[in-house]
Amino acid sequence: MSLIHIENLNKHFKVLNRREGLSGAFRDLFSGNYKTVEAVSGISFDIEAGEIVGYIGPNGAGKSTTIKMMTGILQPTSGVIEVNGLVPYYNRIRQAQTMGVVFGQRTQLWWDLPVIESFKILREIYKVDEKIFNQQMEMFNDLVGLKALHMQQVRTLSLGQRMLCDIAASFLHNPKVVFLDEPTIGLDISVKAKIRSLIKKLNTEHKTTIILTTHDLGDVEALCTRIIIIDKGKILYDGDIKKVNALFGAYRTLKLQVDNFNESTLQVLQEKMTSHFGTDKNFTVSQTEEFWTDITFDQALTPLSDVLNFVMKNFSVLDVRIVEISMENVVQKVYDGALG
Amino acid sequence: MRTLGEYIRLYFIIEAQYIKARMQYRADFIISSIGMLFTSLATLGVFWVILQSVPDVAGWSLMEMVFIYAFYMIAISPMQILFDHIWQLRFHVQEGTFLKYYFRPLNMMFYYMSEMFDLKGLIQLVMGIALLIYSSIQLQVDWTILKFVLLLITLFSAALVQIAIIVAASCAAFWVVESYPVLGLAWKLREFAPYPMSIFDGAFRFTFTFLIPIGFVAFYPSQLFLRPEEVHWFVYLSPIIGVGLFSLAYWIWAKGVNSYTGTGS
Repeated sequence: MSLIHIENLNKHFKVLNRREGLSGAFRDLFSGNYKTVEAVSGISFDIEAGEIVGYIGPNGAGKSTTIKMMTGILQPTSGVIEVNGLVPYYNRIRQAQTMGVVFGQRTQLWWDLPVIESFKILREIYKVDEKIFNQQMEMFNDLVGLKALHMQQVRTLSLGQRMLCDIAASFLHNPKVVFLDEPTIGLDISVKAKIRSLIKKLNTEHKTTIILTTHDLGDVEALCTRIIIIDKGKILYDGDIKKVNALFGAYRTLKLQVDNFNESTLQVLQEKMTSHFGTDKNFTVSQTEEFWTDITFDQALTPLSDVLNFVMKNFSVLDVRIVEISMENVVQKVYDGALG
Repeated sequence: MRTLGEYIRLYFIIEAQYIKARMQYRADFIISSIGMLFTSLATLGVFWVILQSVPDVAGWSLMEMVFIYAFYMIAISPMQILFDHIWQLRFHVQEGTFLKYYFRPLNMMFYYMSEMFDLKGLIQLVMGIALLIYSSIQLQVDWTILKFVLLLITLFSAALVQIAIIVAASCAAFWVVESYPVLGLAWKLREFAPYPMSIFDGAFRFTFTFLIPIGFVAFYPSQLFLRPEEVHWFVYLSPIIGVGLFSLAYWIWAKGVNSYTGTGS
């Protein structure tokens, strides 16, 4: 039997249709005008013990809602959800004993206490055996040098240090499954790498299942063997990361600030690129921030230097940035049939 | 599941750490304790001033008022000391930080409240006890073992009433964005508790006795020791009222916790 079993899971929220202005707000007080938002609709998947699964999607895709159902915070509207053979919402306390959760930048350690005291309290909460506790603490020390932080108050830790502590803490009681929500958000590259290696090692140490939600495709690439892409409450893709990587690994987004930017710039750019490079090279021209034009392309098909050269020659470019393909672009490409 | 004993043990472990950490902010502790002391003294001062100009308040003498106030100070201490985190509930709910309380294998109310321990409330408790002893000596209250047991039971019930009112009011945060007025009102109401209920006219007295029974926080139970002959029958129900109200408040809390969906992340 799989560790997590989800079948045709739905979560709908009733939201008040709000009206504008003060008078609208007053009328809303007595309004029965609700609309239903389908945060998650009809998703199914199974996750086996020991897997690291990347659960990704753009903002508002339904990631958090699914995680909240798996951790027993939300009751599904309909469908089956079982973690470790139990229904989370009705078995919150028993479930919590076998789970670890790290939620973004919100620490779950005791803010005013030294790190080691937080771990000691957690030992009591989860009834971790003294011997196992010492072993775990040794392991955390070997992995990230946790001892150096033992006596520091949680409030004085840097974001990266705190995240390392939070992740370690979520593994203290040897949970069967750990949920990591945006573990690398806001961290610089070197700390990201540290956190990724910690997660990888903790996963192999006890064959802990890890569900990772993230915006950072780098996290997914470094850690996951399997990826589930969700958008608008539905699963777009569930499968091997290699396929996604092969498709998007070579994608880059060239961000340009073009002089005299106007409404037709995007279109002109798209047309010129297509006529120069051909229609089969998968260029997407879009705008995600003001004054910046994004050209997303596949390096395997067109070398970056060619694109850069062409753009520089034909446009008066003020500023350039090159970034990895964003989550939103991946989702768009999947919609367009990239994963067939 | 955990036993009560395990929870108490865990509570002491967490609070010991918490107090140790707070002690680093000594100035904060000393100043807020002094503040607490003066607030209590000021209320007593008001009694004294009132009773300088009138011989009694609805037939109650200064020393009797002091006794009632002392009872009140003790009765609201458990709420202040153990349930202090309730004041932050609306922020946690609004900002989504309340989510973390779902992730531990613990009763959520316990876990939530264990994150704060109001040390200065202990000052109030000690003052209350001292005043209770002083006033009952002055009033020549005849303490027997039975009466002492009765005192403990009524104090426990009164504390539950006060806790229940505040917990229930704070739960408004689960359903209303601007929930402070509800909690603020509930908190304000307690200021009526140390006065003889007989000074309030019909509607207020009815409200404070049967609807939001703050009369059971101090005045009614104090009557048992000061003027047992004047006690109404319903005063003997105070343990039932205390336990009943707390159960109701806990039910509201559980409803709120189960309907909470958090913020997007």
